[in-house]
Amino acid sequence: MSLNNGQTLTVREQDLTGNSSSSSSNQAAWEDARVFLKPSTPTRKPKPPKPENAITIAVSSRVLFNMEKEQHIYEQQGMEEYIKYQVEHEMQPFSPGPAFSFVKALEAVNTRLRELYPDSEELFDVVLMTNNHAYVGLRLINTINHHQLFIERFCMTGGNSPIGYLKAYHTNLYLSADPAKVREALEEGIAAATMFTPEKITEVSETQLRVAFDGDAVLFSDESERIYKAHGLDKFFEHEKAHENKPLDHGPLKGFLEALGKLQKKFYGKGQRMDCPIRTYLVTARSAASSGTRALKTLRSWGLEIDEALFLAGAPKGPMLEKIRPHIFFDDQMFHVEGAAEMGTVACHVPYGIAQRVSKKGIKDTETSSGAK
Amino acid sequence: MVSTIQNTDVKQKDAARAAVVAVTSRAVFDCGVGGGDDVCGVGVAFPLLQALQRVNERLLEENPAESLLFDVVLITTSSQQQQQSSRISSSTRHYGLEVSRFCFSSEEDFIESLLTNGVQLFLTTDRNEATQASQSGVLSALLDQQIASCPPEQLRVMFCGDAIVQPDTGPTPASRQVAQSFSTQLGEMRQRFGVFNSPLSIVLVTSRGGRESCSGALQKLRSRGVSVDEAYCLAGAPQGPIVSLLRPHFLLSEGFRNLEE
Repeated sequence: MSLNNGQTLTVREQDLTGNSSSSSSNQAAWEDARVFLKPSTPTRKPKPPKPENAITIAVSSRVLFNMEKEQHIYEQQGMEEYIKYQVEHEMQPFSPGPAFSFVKALEAVNTRLRELYPDSEELFDVVLMTNNHAYVGLRLINTINHHQLFIERFCMTGGNSPIGYLKAYHTNLYLSADPAKVREALEEGIAAATMFTPEKITEVSETQLRVAFDGDAVLFSDESERIYKAHGLDKFFEHEKAHENKPLDHGPLKGFLEALGKLQKKFYGKGQRMDCPIRTYLVTARSAASSGTRALKTLRSWGLEIDEALFLAGAPKGPMLEKIRPHIFFDDQMFHVEGAAEMGTVACHVPYGIAQRVSKKGIKDTETSSGAK
Repeated sequence: MVSTIQNTDVKQKDAARAAVVAVTSRAVFDCGVGGGDDVCGVGVAFPLLQALQRVNERLLEENPAESLLFDVVLITTSSQQQQQSSRISSSTRHYGLEVSRFCFSSEEDFIESLLTNGVQLFLTTDRNEATQASQSGVLSALLDQQIASCPPEQLRVMFCGDAIVQPDTGPTPASRQVAQSFSTQLGEMRQRFGVFNSPLSIVLVTSRGGRESCSGALQKLRSRGVSVDEAYCLAGAPQGPIVSLLRPHFLLSEGFRNLEE
């Protein structure tokens, strides 16, 4: 395995690699070695977990980093100019994109998990999944180094579909700026959402990962929303009351909430419930008095906990999210996604269910395919 | 005894410039036990030959005077195959394959044949043959059964950034040199085409290493004039699922040992 050239003290990675997974004594050696490294050098970090053990989050380059300028060049001047520009600016790191603080928070959780469970591979694993050609590869790698992100796995597919690779990595969540790819992933049963960039992003915690979910058509199926759209609000309430004890069917992001819950339990198991670095929120238009009950009972029947349930009874979600400051918020309706983004929350659209049949207005991102994903 | 026969149906390539690729007849044709002049069935490497041909066609489209082309040689590596020589030539003509030469050799002298014909890349489905050739300083790659389903429209060449996908075929300094010059030629060919719609795609996979390994491999390849189209960094993730999606026609791993030392 090649090592960094240069003057830094590094432990040969051969000590860690091989067919067995890293042992805790080698882990300790790594931690010691890190103390001596210059802060600007990318530190040698522990080996990434096996995909089947980890919670794999695949992010596209455009959501991880800000590539607006380059995207513009691609759209206006074409692929050759785009690549030329990228290569010319290879040593210039991109600035953070909307998914950046989410990824940083995932790493913060990993650090805490490694402290408590040094031998466990139940960690977040972030994979860069981009449509870009490998010509852009060096700039992306340099940027990862610059920001000291722990991303060791990536696929630069050079224009080919990422779907097969998402599956090969047992991807638990895929975030992209391209709605077409997100839809394709959802159709293949992979939790996915289209991430948008707010005009300004409110500051979020660096130590506690906060994930907020809409209920219907995100955590739950869209069955109730169908009723609401077909028969109106009253019928919706009636239906929910009548079926209060019948769990809703699951939605595309239920699995991801489940994965988060599994990690949370690992902290609870070590007496860290109050200080848990993962916090989950349900932010729903349902109301606490009536339709909310079915939502909570459904979660309970799945054995899932959610830290805070906010029943807005139809009120706008933006202000509430602005208070919560999640790193990421998932909703199936663009109306709510836009509302959240307006108030500085990184919001993602889950194009699932009946709400998609209604034409969307005012989508910020273009639907056209592009070279930078 | 080796006999080398030119295929008069096909225009001969410029020996100084062409990239000479030898493929075993056993990989290209499935000759079974038929006799006489019966045309053989297609083997796993048939789409590979079509892909090589396609690259040549596109190169000549870009520049009719192009001399940097694939020069394909069909080689027999056993006396049994040697005896099928007429079926092999007639099958080649039947399918219209762009094979410039036939080398009818046996187990004992196929290596000699590779060397005297200036073969730069030897492709075979037989592991022992690949090892032998490699140890004699000829760049070799083992062809997988899966390549039968690879696309004939685009030649997909995979570079292994940390040589784990194939068992080590024992590179010598000489074979490292050969690997480098072959990849430089590939790189040059690739440059003849634009980003999209290229008949040749260069894919890099780093299996064990993380982004540092991949970065190093990308830079190393670039210094040889090879621009990589697709890059996959596995950092220890199981390579089977990813590689089967990539569908490379063949894998080149030699020439990277110096990256890993």
